[in-house]
Amino acid sequence: MALRVPVNLRKNLSVVLYAFQALSFGAVIIGLTSLLLLPLDEYSRRTYISENALLPGQVHAYFGGSEQNIVRAFRHEVAALANSTSDVVADRMAEIFRSAGLKVGQQKYSYKAAGGEYTGENVYAVLHAPRGDATEAIVLCAPWKNIDHLLNEGGVALTLALSRYFKRWSLWSKDIIFLISADARAGPQAWVDAYHDLHGPSVQSLSVKSGAIQGVVVVDHPGAYHRFDSLHIIYDGVNGQLPNLDLINTAVQISKDQMQLRTDLQEMWNHADTYRHRLKTMLRGMVNQALGHSTGPHSSFIPYHIDAITLATHGEGWHDEMSLGRTVESVFRSLNNLLEHFHQSFFFYLLMAPKRFVSIGTYLPSAMLLAVGLTLTAIRLWVDPRSRSGADESKHAVGEVQAGGEKSEGKQSEQGGPKQPTAPAIDSGPKRELFLPLSVVIGMHFCGVIPFAVFNTLDYKSMANVFYIFMAVSFVLPILLATLITLTTPPRRLLQTFHLTRCFSLLFLGMFLSTLATLNFSLSFLIGLFSLPLTVARATPKSIPVSLLSSILLQLASPFAALFAVAGYWGLGVEDILREASFGWWVWGMWTPVIVWCVWWPAWVVARVSVDASFVMAVTGKTGVA
Amino acid sequence: MKLSTWGALALLSLFSPPVCLAHSQHTSNWAVLVSTSRFWFNYRHLANVLSMYRTVKRLGIPDSQIILMLSDDVACNPRNTFPGTVYNNADRAIDLYGDNIEVDYRGYEVTVENFIRLLTDRVPPDTPRSKRLLTDDRSNIFIYMTGHGGNEFLKFQDAEEISAFDIADAFQQMFEKKRYNEMLFMIDTCQANTMYSKFYSPNILATGSSELDQSSYSHHADNDVGVAVIDRYTYFNLEYLETHVKNASSKHTLADLFNSYDPVKIASTPGIRTDLFRRDLKEVLITDFLGNVQSVEVDGDGMRLDEDLLSLARGAGYNISEAEWKEAMRGTRELYDAGASNNGGRNAAEQRTWAGPVRVHKDGETDFWRTVMSAGAVAVCFVGYWLFSMVDKA
Repeated sequence: MALRVPVNLRKNLSVVLYAFQALSFGAVIIGLTSLLLLPLDEYSRRTYISENALLPGQVHAYFGGSEQNIVRAFRHEVAALANSTSDVVADRMAEIFRSAGLKVGQQKYSYKAAGGEYTGENVYAVLHAPRGDATEAIVLCAPWKNIDHLLNEGGVALTLALSRYFKRWSLWSKDIIFLISADARAGPQAWVDAYHDLHGPSVQSLSVKSGAIQGVVVVDHPGAYHRFDSLHIIYDGVNGQLPNLDLINTAVQISKDQMQLRTDLQEMWNHADTYRHRLKTMLRGMVNQALGHSTGPHSSFIPYHIDAITLATHGEGWHDEMSLGRTVESVFRSLNNLLEHFHQSFFFYLLMAPKRFVSIGTYLPSAMLLAVGLTLTAIRLWVDPRSRSGADESKHAVGEVQAGGEKSEGKQSEQGGPKQPTAPAIDSGPKRELFLPLSVVIGMHFCGVIPFAVFNTLDYKSMANVFYIFMAVSFVLPILLATLITLTTPPRRLLQTFHLTRCFSLLFLGMFLSTLATLNFSLSFLIGLFSLPLTVARATPKSIPVSLLSSILLQLASPFAALFAVAGYWGLGVEDILREASFGWWVWGMWTPVIVWCVWWPAWVVARVSVDASFVMAVTGKTGVA
Repeated sequence: MKLSTWGALALLSLFSPPVCLAHSQHTSNWAVLVSTSRFWFNYRHLANVLSMYRTVKRLGIPDSQIILMLSDDVACNPRNTFPGTVYNNADRAIDLYGDNIEVDYRGYEVTVENFIRLLTDRVPPDTPRSKRLLTDDRSNIFIYMTGHGGNEFLKFQDAEEISAFDIADAFQQMFEKKRYNEMLFMIDTCQANTMYSKFYSPNILATGSSELDQSSYSHHADNDVGVAVIDRYTYFNLEYLETHVKNASSKHTLADLFNSYDPVKIASTPGIRTDLFRRDLKEVLITDFLGNVQSVEVDGDGMRLDEDLLSLARGAGYNISEAEWKEAMRGTRELYDAGASNNGGRNAAEQRTWAGPVRVHKDGETDFWRTVMSAGAVAVCFVGYWLFSMVDKA
């Protein structure tokens, strides 16, 4: 029996092929389903504090009372500078910090991206821990203008007041750095780069430094309104990296349990902890993670393995700056308790409610299974006899079963070499012609550098036009390639060439996405999802309607469609997304454009080549059957 | 050897008996107090051990006989809101770090190796006396440990563990080297009772805070210090010791202390292991371990002493009838009883629980009578010596 099974399989390869097809289909279905199951109680977990040292909410927060007057006074100072330039602001802030008895540093920076120039001046002050050893620091940051370009009046005033307040305590074990960055996107990046001496020439070095940064809390309380309703915790970092879950848990626990302050995630303002809301929170988190962009000043710190969150106020309620100040104070007392870098809790997780999450072990399979689906399809294509050329193969090209039988005969004759050394099957035997398919796939992936380079050097003004031109090129390019290949390749090898091209492309994409899933799960998952049509799109010269359908499907799942979808999601133009990508690349070191242009776009183009080849073959009459 | 010398020795041995007949046969009390955990958030373990330190010192064990092992210095931790202090209660009434504390092993010196070396006295020759447990077979040792533990282990310094077997073997070695008379082992950690489950050496009494698979919990936190300040088991031990055992002459027994344990309050099930211990807990004073009372006792009803003295007196040539002798001794016995009842009246609670023999040295007894008795004893010695030497000459 044991021997008969492989013999049978060799004779009747279609069983294997169907098995592969079923497996890859099953992997995709299970992958998608398992993601949708995650928000259920059975699959997600309640958050918990892993790090014993944190002791969140175990201290009284004393910020309040007369401190409120100080915050209000600083509000006036900030409001008076509302229309001033960054350097004027920095000078005034430095003066205030100095008067509180802190060491002050200022830093000018300038970035160029997408034809624009982003300049500003950061100002920061260092409070040396009176009994600490100055080897560690924690940062309290308030951007002058928040991520929505609003004047962060409350946040800055609170930071100034807290700098005076924290100075009075003698219990700090770490230095505290108060950073007022000029904006929420470039300023913090310039500062943290310079803090680690990894800044470019357009960014000034820091004159004052402290120890290794253990944690960052950003306060974002814009506008002149003093009262707010809930605290929005923003945690996504650049390239989809996340801060340690313990930091978020600490902030949530302190806000909720100690300050009776509601916390929101991912702009879900009315989270009822239902399946729908959990799923929505999780998917919003995944979109942010997949885009890999900065969602606030905290994002820039995370690539340096510094755990950071933004506490943004939202709505109108009865909480005032004192609630925010006390929350920050309590979070800082917890950070102060830290003995070593955040390490106990998860770095890879998906949050679906402030107190509910899934960790990487639970969610990773879904992205992996999508990638596995692609890989399995690639393996199936390789095993498929149509990937082999042969004089007699073309006769049976359509019937898989027959071809399987044919191929296996050939294979047998190959393996039975000693018995039949001069078997004619070797001459006419099945071989895979690898050169053309491989060069198409590899060449396309290298070509990905072109859009990447173009969009990263372009002006914002010309971006939209170039993008549309590029879209047209991307539309025409596969047709051109298909025509070129069809015209230059012998008809009997045509189908096999497209077949193998797809095989390599899917193999590469599948392997790449499996790897990416461990780094940026969401990006891998979303690209995998958009790439699903790639598994079915193939050259079908005999059936033009199927080709047409595949073609439409591919267009809908193209990187361009995804770009439009993202633009629509944020309510922006495509050029804004491209500018963001360019800015992200130059300022934050964001890798998403590299992955889109050098991995996804080429794979899509190669899939298009196969589909378009059906039309070309139909037109030229070279249907691959001699 | 002269007969007179023999007689003198016999008399001496009769009047030094306070020691030989003593209920607890120890001549010194030692305490080894160990906190094993590091880090600021383990403040409570240091507070636990410092509370015990305060208690044994209060009950009279001198610093020279206390080995205090403090695994971290929370008092001087920069995170301490009240620098230089350690409190075991949120009311912050008593600063345990105070102005009179001797830490013998501090910080990273608190290791499993040092602890076992200390117990077995296998220390380098240049070890100062303050870091040695200089006990002998007449020493009662109180060992208190606290930290983070598990099934049959206790973590030291976040780096290593001591196992229940290690401690059991160390104790056996102490027994073989005659390094203790009796030992009270008390441990406050998670699954603490497993730590003494492996002991096999005699005369060890052990108690722990929680059973296998049970955690020991902290009692309460101080919201200004920002950490939990004491563990429950230690808290309730201390509560009993502070409210009942007022001073070194307290008559409370370990049975009283153990009976005061309430698993509901402690939130875990404390354990007591007595199978290695020979005495009835109702007769073991708390101060036999936690205090520094070197007991001086005579037999409770005085009968044996009386008979011995009578036969001795007869042997010495006094022709005295039993009735006469009893009549002579009655006064002294009434004296004892009076002292006992005085004492009982003053401290009814202690008297009620006190079922053991009456002691010579007790509260309320005047120095006068002690002087009389001492003088009498010396006089009898002299008389005896004179008598024997007379016989010798003849």
